[in-house]
This record gives sequence, structure tokens and C-alpha cells, in this order.
Amino acid sequence: METRPLLIYNSDMHEEVKVPHSVLMSVESPGRYVGGEKNQIVKPIDDSIVRTVFCFPDVYEIGMSNLALQILYKVLNGPEWSSCERAFSPWPDMDKKMREHNIPLYSLETKSPLNEFDVIAFSLGYEMCFTNVLQMLDLGGVPLLSKDRKDSDPVVVAGGPVTCNIEPMADFFDAAFIGEGEEVDLEFTRVIKEFKDSGKKDRKALLKRLASIDGVYVPGLYTPKFENGKFKGYDIEDGAPATVHKRIVKDLDSVDYPLSPVVPNNNVVHDRAYLELFRGCIRGCRFCQAGYLYRPVREKSMKTLCEQGITIMNNTGYDELGILSLSTSDYSELGPLTDGLLEVFNKQHSSLSLPSLRIDNFALDLMEKASQTRKTGLTFAPEAGTQRLRDVINKGICEDDIMSSLELAFKGGWSTVKLYFMLGLPTETMEDVEGIANLAIKIEKLYFDTMRSIGAKPRKPEITVSTSMFIPKPFTPFEWEDQNTEEEFIQKQTTIRNMLKKHRNIRYIWHDVKTSCWEGIYARGDRRLCPVILEGYKKGSIFDAWDQFFDYGLWTQILHDHGLKWEDYTRGRDVDDPLPWDNIDVGVRKDFLKREREKAYKEQITPNCRQQCSGCGATCYKAGICP
Amino acid sequence: MNAQEQLREMTRKQHQHEYVCRGLFERKGALSYIGHLDLKAVFERALRRAGLPILYSQGFNPRPMIVFALPLGVGIDTEGDWLDVSMEVPFDPDEYVRRINAELPEGLKVIRAVSIDEPQNSIMSVVTCAEYRIEAKGITKPVLDLFSKQEVITMKKSKGREIEVDIRPLLIKPLTSSTPDSVEYMCYAGSTKNLRPDVLLKALCESGGFSKEEADEARVTRIALYGGEYPDISAIEGLT
Repeated sequence: METRPLLIYNSDMHEEVKVPHSVLMSVESPGRYVGGEKNQIVKPIDDSIVRTVFCFPDVYEIGMSNLALQILYKVLNGPEWSSCERAFSPWPDMDKKMREHNIPLYSLETKSPLNEFDVIAFSLGYEMCFTNVLQMLDLGGVPLLSKDRKDSDPVVVAGGPVTCNIEPMADFFDAAFIGEGEEVDLEFTRVIKEFKDSGKKDRKALLKRLASIDGVYVPGLYTPKFENGKFKGYDIEDGAPATVHKRIVKDLDSVDYPLSPVVPNNNVVHDRAYLELFRGCIRGCRFCQAGYLYRPVREKSMKTLCEQGITIMNNTGYDELGILSLSTSDYSELGPLTDGLLEVFNKQHSSLSLPSLRIDNFALDLMEKASQTRKTGLTFAPEAGTQRLRDVINKGICEDDIMSSLELAFKGGWSTVKLYFMLGLPTETMEDVEGIANLAIKIEKLYFDTMRSIGAKPRKPEITVSTSMFIPKPFTPFEWEDQNTEEEFIQKQTTIRNMLKKHRNIRYIWHDVKTSCWEGIYARGDRRLCPVILEGYKKGSIFDAWDQFFDYGLWTQILHDHGLKWEDYTRGRDVDDPLPWDNIDVGVRKDFLKREREKAYKEQITPNCRQQCSGCGATCYKAGICP
Repeated sequence: MNAQEQLREMTRKQHQHEYVCRGLFERKGALSYIGHLDLKAVFERALRRAGLPILYSQGFNPRPMIVFALPLGVGIDTEGDWLDVSMEVPFDPDEYVRRINAELPEGLKVIRAVSIDEPQNSIMSVVTCAEYRIEAKGITKPVLDLFSKQEVITMKKSKGREIEVDIRPLLIKPLTSSTPDSVEYMCYAGSTKNLRPDVLLKALCESGGFSKEEADEARVTRIALYGGEYPDISAIEGLT
């Protein structure tokens, strides 16, 4: 029988994990596993403190480039009664060593094993990290299945965009946060604190209490029903809400933004400071899940951003600041903001990184100012090869825009262009696919024509065409669509490759079809996938997001062993079918998504949020841009 | 002239003067597990946080002008490494020590510093010898034994193939060792002749004088660096 009281943490129990020197010396980049960074926060280990470990289910260098981690680390370390530490997935070499030497997965701050914490909070940014969640729990000494956890075990929660359909992982999480963590995290840990202080023991009662917090989904209280292999809704336990509503931060200026983020000691993926300009996106591209999940658009004020940008650089010592959002050019005061920042940065040998710019005259000017002398590459995301298909996906960009911007850029001395496209979009024909290659060829010709017209000596232009696979995602107008098969994707890639073969200035790069197809299974997955994922992990799968580790054959076999087929998940759905994520409300209403779907088929554009409200439903938050 | 020296030359012409703060630093704990380039970046960010008037290189990608006396391998602690930081204006070395230490992560510390105006040579070219301490169970005797041998052969990878090298000429002398589990010695170090401690440990294991398991757990500390021709050596701090 379990005798330890619920969540009462006894500091005598604390045992610092010590990793032998020989182990650290035998793995790649041991700096990942030791902590000790500038600005890390180490709080005492104390019974009166609710201890959370923020887990990022990928390698340190990826996780430390993640802004959500830095924001929530700050939020959860705010109150005296709450602490937050960090843990990351050990790379396969370290994973092996930890199992060999019986070293539990530990937090970087106090080197505590994960099972010592009150809350284990995972940030899920992409579906393919699922097996890494199991790896971290397993190495941390925490039972993998929610139902197997004892009163004394930590509460395991998930946050991040993937929680809008957490069903494939529902058996492993005690709870999931829907929406933005800043709002709900401390409410959640406050309840845990009350429970801890009161000395109550009943885990089930705690989970029910947590389910009453707005924005908290407790999957164990919802039992899915299936008929003939089709999802038919949930049986919901008494007391659990029928629908869990997304939480958002209404006023981003009021968020306690991390001005002294943890600065990694070893080289991470994005070695720079970050400033978030706004959340949401006005555009409404119909394939883009983020565009719907993060509604409504909420901007931070120019004044706040300018002050924060300068402070954050002084506090971190970085020489580059990245300004982040889903579409930088749509920030309403971009000019004044970048002028203000660059005025200071130019004196400090610092630079500004400007991702997601829509290339136009203004953007070219700005890029010139920001990077001074260096001419970095230009990036365009037409997403589709023909205007017809771009209208279907509501990508408000036309070929004339691209061509006139590029002409300007080529005249200004740029010669490196990257173009991003998607294959397998709804209604796509081979003509649309060929359109991708044709656009690249036109751009190549435009370069030489422009050089000739201004009498400049042409260099060798570098035009890169990159295609990814369209995966239908929940809460988009395409959530009911059919996903292309592996064969279809490969055929389309081959077509483009053949068309571009003779063009030596054009490089074609394509994503791995297999991982993308599998991602599609998770994206619209349901609870029948939990045992599949568990078995995949037990058979050795981790780091599935990394092509070199993803074992397609193994996963397909396991899926079949569980009586499931690819088509169960990749097939098109009827608009009236109940969907596994129907119990989640992200503010965007289903009737709006259906309307958008109809408009897509009619190749009709929907105006952006700034031009006209399309009535998606996000006005319910009474925040940001909404009327 | 290597790339770094060229850059220095370019920068110097532009600014006419550089004022160097030469600091002795120690490293231990978590910070010992990062590589040399990462260590450089950690110092660069600390210098920027400290708001010191550091001199930047010219060119497309201006970098703070900082030079380490000798690269420090992953996993090695130090009590005696040196670092030159170029300033735009004359700068009080004590003030430098105070301000950089306030910004360095735990485990890194500048112990003291001197100022050098217009150094003639890069600090990298000054280093000739180093003292190391190796701590491991039973390490003292096998290391001391090396000094009585005529040659110490080990295999070294060179241009993709293994070649035999004799590391004995790189060893200078043992220093006092008080316990069987901790030994100190002096060897050649720097850009011309250099004996890395991991190569010495490898040689010990290959000769059967020491077990691989113990060697893997060995903790290595660099105690000091020197310049000049052995035995006529002197401390780095005054050498330009």
C-alpha cells in the first residue's frame, strides 16, 4: 500500500544526482547536462514551495532556443511559493549511458530527479516529440501512464500548441493546458499548493479539482467512444466541463516578459535574444494552425518593445536580437520600432534579426539597415505554385508582387532567394505542382534580365526551392481534408526535381515524406494511438523528429499490430463527423471553419483581420485587434 | 601571419592604439564541460554585459578582440589560464576584474589582471610550458615513472592515419606530489610543442601502466602557464 502522503515533499528525501565525470566526457556536448548558465534561477528545496520542472522533449540546444520556456520559467519562478527548474531530453548517447549507470533524469538547477517534483510540465511544440516525453518520464522515474501514478507521484501536464489535440498522448498526461501558459500556470500550481498544504491525499480528487480551472483539460475524465472504428464522442465524468476553453493573455504589455533569460553556455540553435512583437496573425492562411490557435491578434506597444529590446541585450550580452511573430511585416509600428532599436544597436555592435518579413520596398530598406553591409538571403513563402491554389489557401500574395519585389532586390544587389512551398494542398493538381518549378525558373530568368537591363555583371544567383508536405491540422478550415499518401508526395517531388534538373542556379530541397506522413497521423489522432506510441517507445524509438532516428517500418508495423491503418487518420472526414478535439474550444468556431472551407473550394479570398472582421469567433476574448 | 593576427593588424591600423587587460582566470564546475569556442563566447557575452569599452575587430562581422593564451580542452579545470582583452581606451585592470567577475557565470573567475599597452606579440605565441595536476586513483606512480623512461610511444592520428609518436621529449619535470592519487608535472605547451593531458593519459593506458576506467575518471587541472625557453621561463603576465 502507498503510505507516502500526496505531494508532500520532504527535503530529506532530496538526493542530488551526480553524473560521473567519465560519463560526461564520453558523450557529445556534455555542456548540455550540467546547467550553470548565467541567469538561471536556483531556489531552495523546501516543503512550502511547489516545485515544477519544465521539460522540453528535445535536445538542450533546441529547447534553450524556445521562447515559451524562458517566459514560463520566469512566470513560475515569480512567487516565493513556486519554483521552476529545467530538464531536456538526453541525446541517444547520454540516454544509453544513463540507463547503463542507473542515472535518473534530473533538473539542471538542483540536479533533482524528476520524480521529486510536484509538477512535471512538458512543452509540446510539435507532434514528433511524443516518444521523448515518455523517455523523459521513464528516465525520471515517473510511471508512464497517468492511471498507474500513485498519490506521491508528480502531476504530469502538457502545454503548447499540440495540446489542442492531445488525444494521442492522453493516457500519459494527467492534465493539459489549453492556450497560453502565462495565464493558467500559476492558477494550476496554486491549486497544487493548497492541496499540498492541506495534506489531502486523493489524487483523483486533485485531478477533478484541477479540471475545474478554466483552460485545464484532464483527459482521464473523458472516455472516447468508437463505433466500427469511428470516433463517436466522449463519455464525460461528472464535474468535468463539456468543453475546455482556451486561455489567452489579453494584454501582452502586462506580461512579465523575461528580460534576463537564461543564457546557455554552449552554442544553441538560435544563439540570440528574443523579443516577441505580437501573438496571432491577421492573415488567415487556411492551412496554418498557428494562425487560428493564437487568435486574436494582440500587439505589444512600440514603447514596451523598444525598452525591453535594449534591456534584454544588456542583461544577456548577446550581439543579436531576433524579433519574433508569425508575420513580422504585419506589426503596425515596425518602422519606428526597428529605427529605435537600431539606433542603439549600431553603437553596441549588435544586430537585428528579422525573420518572417514580407519582401517589399520597405522590407528591403529595413534589411539593408539592419545588416548594414551584409546581404543575406531573401525568403519568400508563396506556399503554392499557381495563383488559383494560392487563393484556395488564402495566401494573399500574387506573382506580380513576388516579381516586382525581387526585381527591386536584384537591383539592390541581392542574389540569394529562398522559396517555400507546400505539396498536397487541397484541390492541388499536377499543374499546381509544375507551377512551383515554373515560378523558380521565372525568377532565375528575372535575375539575368534585371542584371542585363541595368548593365550589371550577373553573379551566380542562388535560388532555393523548398517543399514541405501539407498536413491537415485541427482548428483549420482544412481539418476535414484528405492527406496525400506517401506515393503521391513522392510523385510530386519527383516532378519538380525533374523540371529543375537542368537549372544549375536552382537548388531543390525536399522534406522527408515519411516523418511528415506520420506527423499527420498524430495531428488528427485519437486515443487509440496511446498504446501505439507506448509500444514504439518501448521498442526503442526516441527523437522521432530527427529523420535519422525515425523508424518508419517499425511504426507502421506497430500501427497494424494495434488493428489500425494509416487511412484511419489520413483520410478525409465528413464535416458532420464528431472529431476527437471537439471538446476543446480555441475561440475559432466550427461554423466559421466550415464557411472558410467552402470559400476555399470557390477560390475566394477572405480579407485579413485588419481589413475586415470575418467573424471567426475570437472576438469572445475581447482582446487585441477584435472589434 | 594567421587569420587572427591579420584581423588584429587590420584593427590596430584603424584605431592606432589598443589597450590590453591581461587577466589570469580560473575555471571549474559546470563551465569546465564546454569547448574552447563556447568558452570564448561566454567571455564575450560577459564582457558585453559588463559594458566594458572593448575593442571590436573590423570587417563584416565585428567580434570583440579577445585572445586566450592556450585553448582549454573540454573537461579540464584551470587555475592559471590567461586571456587578453583589448580595450578602446586605457582601462584600470582592477576595475576590469571587478566588472567582469560580476557578470561571469559561476565557475569562471578572473583572479587578477594587468594592463599592457600595445603588446608586441599575441599572447598565444608567448606560451611555451604548462603545469598540470591529474587526480585519479593511483595516478602518481605511473606518471612519475614516465620521467625515468627514454621514450614514451603512443599512437596519434595524423592526416587520417595512425602514426607512432614519442611524447617523452614533451615532458619537462615532475613537481612535488604528496599523495598517490594526485600528481603534478610540467610539460611543453603552446603552438610549437604541446602535450595534451589526455594524450598523456592515453599513453599511460596503452603502456599498461594505468587502467582505462581510472583514466576516464581522472580530473585534470591546468595549474599555470609560462613563457620563455625552459629552464629560463617566466610568468605570462609581464611578457609581451
